[in-house]
Amino acid sequence: MYHKAALRLMSSEARPTYSGAEDKVVFEDVSKTYPKSGAAAGSTVAIKSLNIAIKKAEIVSILGPTGCGKSTAMNMIAGFEFPSHGQVLLDGKSILAPGPDRAVVFQQASLFPWLTVLENVVFGVKSRGVSPDIYSKRAEQLLKAVKLNGFEKHYPYQLSGGMQQRVQIARALISEPEVLLMDEPFGALDSQTRLMMQELVLQLWVAYRPTIIFITHDVAEAIFVSDRILLMSSRPGRVKLDVSVDEPKPRGLEFLSSASFVDMQANLLTALKEEVH
Amino acid sequence: MVNLMNRIPRFWISSGTIVAIVALWFVVTNAGLVGPSYLPSPQALFSSFKRLLESGYQRTPLWEHIGISLFRALSGFLLGVAVGIPTGLMTGYNRSADAAMSPIMAFIRPIPPIAFIPMVVLYFGLGEEGKVILIFITAFNYAHINAHAGAAHVPIAYIRAARTLGLTPGQIFRKVVFPAALPHIFTGLKVAMALSWAVVVAAELVGAQKGLGFMISDAAQVFQIPVVFIGIALIGFIGLALNMTLSVAESRIVHWKGR
Repeated sequence: MYHKAALRLMSSEARPTYSGAEDKVVFEDVSKTYPKSGAAAGSTVAIKSLNIAIKKAEIVSILGPTGCGKSTAMNMIAGFEFPSHGQVLLDGKSILAPGPDRAVVFQQASLFPWLTVLENVVFGVKSRGVSPDIYSKRAEQLLKAVKLNGFEKHYPYQLSGGMQQRVQIARALISEPEVLLMDEPFGALDSQTRLMMQELVLQLWVAYRPTIIFITHDVAEAIFVSDRILLMSSRPGRVKLDVSVDEPKPRGLEFLSSASFVDMQANLLTALKEEVH
Repeated sequence: MVNLMNRIPRFWISSGTIVAIVALWFVVTNAGLVGPSYLPSPQALFSSFKRLLESGYQRTPLWEHIGISLFRALSGFLLGVAVGIPTGLMTGYNRSADAAMSPIMAFIRPIPPIAFIPMVVLYFGLGEEGKVILIFITAFNYAHINAHAGAAHVPIAYIRAARTLGLTPGQIFRKVVFPAALPHIFTGLKVAMALSWAVVVAAELVGAQKGLGFMISDAAQVFQIPVVFIGIALIGFIGLALNMTLSVAESRIVHWKGR
């Protein structure tokens, strides 16, 4: 049932060839510079000439050392920040603002503490005027999928970190987004919970098939969850490695101890280590 | 001794302190250790209080003095927070609004409200409008500052989450910034209330013919010491009651604070 995962490495010089029609998110020669804060003159180059093409329904992890610009890249897909040079395209069009078509699961707590779990999940769709008949059923299904049915009337402060992240995932998926952005969503959780959440992401992908862009600094998490891993270099960030993970989904825990997994992990850790100097 | 005391519930120890103070007060005044013109005895205060309840002060019933002070304080307070909270939220959230209002606020903020009293009496005489305006300025100042802090400190994750969920800027202001700022808003309400109450008493000391501030000032001038003490005690109790009301409201409305 589980095939050997193939390992294909592309050097950072090669540009990915994309077939256009299937591409969901594209970075075209994107750079981002920030002016230096305080009295310092000059600017910081966060990302330089980033070229990425992500296909529809692909699960892509962006892996890299702290400060490599992975959050910046995600912020540009989300619409929180804009490139200094180049374009970030969604379905061929420039991204101008945030929206429910690109749902975000944040690293920090972003649930509204004055609302219950259910109110948090339906907050977006309700404010946009979607009919309650539609969203209540979806909310119920999603809360069951993330195993939080029964907690509808709880408040975020009554939930553990893992449970809060699950509510965030339900809140993100209720608008049936085409793109799901997850920014180190499981970083603050213990390893058992993290594993559970990674399996949950895979299950949700099987059910809803969004394009998932997943930021992490954890190599094992990246391999377990993704179809493709983009390893970024340290600042200024560019794609150092583009690795395919050919293990079919859904994936079980056996994958974690397979030879191909261990190989991939070793290669990526070495490449990552080079960037942390 | 202290070890033993640690096992007694808090309530009894605090009550013990009160009983001890009252007992000491009784002894000191009745034994003549302190003269009645400095510290009236408990009995003198009690009979003075009874007389106030029956015949009022200066032909005005006691409840009317209390009522007029409360009316002035609460009207100014309500008007002040009604204007201060929205403007504070706007300047905290929107940089242009902040730039527009900050010279005005920077000027008003450091001036103690009491300093405006002579000006208010000059323009408005001893009438009610002047006092309400004074309280309004006070309450507005503190409500504004705290609402501003509340809006300015909304975690950016909340704003980004709201934007990504598809809310319009107006919706974000009403449904995210306002609730997120509520803890700060309540801090502002409590400070504004306490200061409004203090300022109304101060204003009544110099420019009024009715009210608790007037009562203690007038009584002091004719050496009716027990009335002064009772007036101060009443001012204290009412201030406490106002603060407790706001605290209860806060614990109901801002149920997530501190969790």
